[in-house]
Amino acid sequence: MAVQIEFVSSKTLKQLSSEKKIAMVLESVKKNEILVLEEPLTLDEERMLIRETMKVISKKFPGIEISSLSPQEEDLRSQFIRFIGGRTSGLTVVGPANLVREMKKDPNKLRVLTK
Amino acid sequence: MLGWIFGLFGKKKQFSLGLYGPPNSGKTTLANRISLDWTGEPVGKVSEIPHETRQVQKKEHIELKVDGKRFSMNLLDMPGIATKVDYREFIPYGLELKEAQQRAKEATKGIIEAIKWLEHVDVALVVLDSTEDPYTQVNLTIIGNLEARKIPVIIVANKIDSKKAKPDRIKSAFPQYKLVEVSALKGDNIHKLYKEIASSN
Repeated sequence: MAVQIEFVSSKTLKQLSSEKKIAMVLESVKKNEILVLEEPLTLDEERMLIRETMKVISKKFPGIEISSLSPQEEDLRSQFIRFIGGRTSGLTVVGPANLVREMKKDPNKLRVLTK
Repeated sequence: MLGWIFGLFGKKKQFSLGLYGPPNSGKTTLANRISLDWTGEPVGKVSEIPHETRQVQKKEHIELKVDGKRFSMNLLDMPGIATKVDYREFIPYGLELKEAQQRAKEATKGIIEAIKWLEHVDVALVVLDSTEDPYTQVNLTIIGNLEARKIPVIIVANKIDSKKAKPDRIKSAFPQYKLVEVSALKGDNIHKLYKEIASSN
């Protein structure tokens, strides 16, 4: 199966409500795309995503694999970077479970293993 | 003040204890161990097939006495939380196709139910399998959501009786939480866990 990876910019994500973000993620992974979100999902959004995923699981769609790298700790430097419109890292990767076997992470690294 | 007055008259503290974690981490084995210790009755059936617990299983009004402190708790054994439920994974365990599909359907509902309950427990035991990598997004999401709701979390590094157990990995993944290493199956360190539960509510 061909692997299609889609990057979603922080700017796009900021314009979406949590509900719309979750709907967009699910729509893409159901089309067998791996999504890289430039802005990580919040813990609450991750909870919502798991819940909404469970509602659409079928014989063809067994669910998702997800992993997030947290943004940098909120120190003065990162506050300044944010103030001038910059980003202080962090991202979420979501893929369909029938394509992504596993996502392994340590605090600063993320590996996506496909089938 | 009220608590002090109730204490004088021997009123017991009551709270709900939720057992969270991924599938097959030993939540029901632990729930059974706790319930058998204090009531003589188990909570639910245990199986090697993932998602055996597909509904929240409750054991209410369990009376505990730990270090002279008495309290009453409702034990809530939650379905394991996962991001995927694939019916094909149940077939190697000997389930027929339709049985496996039905199990998957029930498991997804169980996960939704467990997520709903996140807001309704007073203390949470997050039960993790010491033989598995603890650094998964599901574990982080469960623990993070409990913390965001200010629910006291005790991490239970289970299955320490296994030769493959590496509870230190859990300790280093979640250094900021209380952690008790146990074997729910054999009962190792269960009293340490009761002490932590007693001090968390």
